Amino acid sequence: MKSLHILLCCFLFSALMNGQEKFLTKQGFTSFFSSSPVEDIKADNNQVLSIIDTSTGAIAISILMKSFMFEKSLMQEHFNENYVESDKYPKAIFKGQIANFKNLGNDEQLVSIHGDITIHGVTKKIETQAKIVRTEENISLTGTFPITVADFKIKIPSVVINNIAETVAVTFELDHTPYKK
Amino acid sequence: MTRRARIKIIISILIIVLVGTLISMSLYNKPHTDVAKSSPNISLASKTLLDDFENDENLANSKYLEQIIQVSGTISELSVSKGKGIVTLGNKDSFGNIMCHLSAKENEKMTALEKGQSITIKGICTGYLMDVILVKCVIINQQ
Repeated sequence: MKSLHILLCCFLFSALMNGQEKFLTKQGFTSFFSSSPVEDIKADNNQVLSIIDTSTGAIAISILMKSFMFEKSLMQEHFNENYVESDKYPKAIFKGQIANFKNLGNDEQLVSIHGDITIHGVTKKIETQAKIVRTEENISLTGTFPITVADFKIKIPSVVINNIAETVAVTFELDHTPYKK
Repeated sequence: MTRRARIKIIISILIIVLVGTLISMSLYNKPHTDVAKSSPNISLASKTLLDDFENDENLANSKYLEQIIQVSGTISELSVSKGKGIVTLGNKDSFGNIMCHLSAKENEKMTALEKGQSITIKGICTGYLMDVILVKCVIINQQ
């Protein structure tokens, strides 16, 4: 976890050094949706930090777990205290690569993104498809991918096992702009 | 057992079930913290808050996360994302800032704000990325 933070910090500072080549957003959106016969649970996060290095197509995303907003405050409490233990693991992190980034045209197209995602202190390899639109002033990425709760050692108590889906859908909308200081 | 005693037992069971249901319903529907009506747990200058996170993030997390924080500083940036206002407190020289995501009710006050203005904002701290992030923010006063 700590080395990941250091890596991310290095990435951020290298982003500062040559500002021209970095695109970033501090107000990225991500949400997850769990659908079960008992209830649907949804949480939104509008404070996602995402940085793309346009010279390589590398992407780094940081998410604060406590920034997920639920409809019911009790759900939010359970999510933070019991499931993702956000006091112990305050962030989710993705570090990866957008495939074939250099050859992207200006039109909307599908790209494959692969890398490592860390949630609840557990790191997994992940690959997903995303819609990308790249222009001079903007890189937007949108997509959705499934996450299996058990993969990240998140324990769901048997009392509420029917309320929470085993696999939740994660959606993201990241609208990067050139980094200027 | 007499009939009377039996009715008494049934009624008391019903009452217990009813009270139990009401309590669990009110727990389930417990409202979110109303930042506007709550008094802040911590009041400080935006620079102090940022310094604390930059110096020792873990310590700052344990001190500030999920707390209602009232922070005073200078507006360095105003932006709108998905119809929601964001007030950034800081100065041009610093790398990090305090990003205050306004609550839906506070959006209309955005138009009265301008860069360079001193302001006091109250919100809930969710952590530190490049900036310290406060959500559900309410504007206390502006000068």
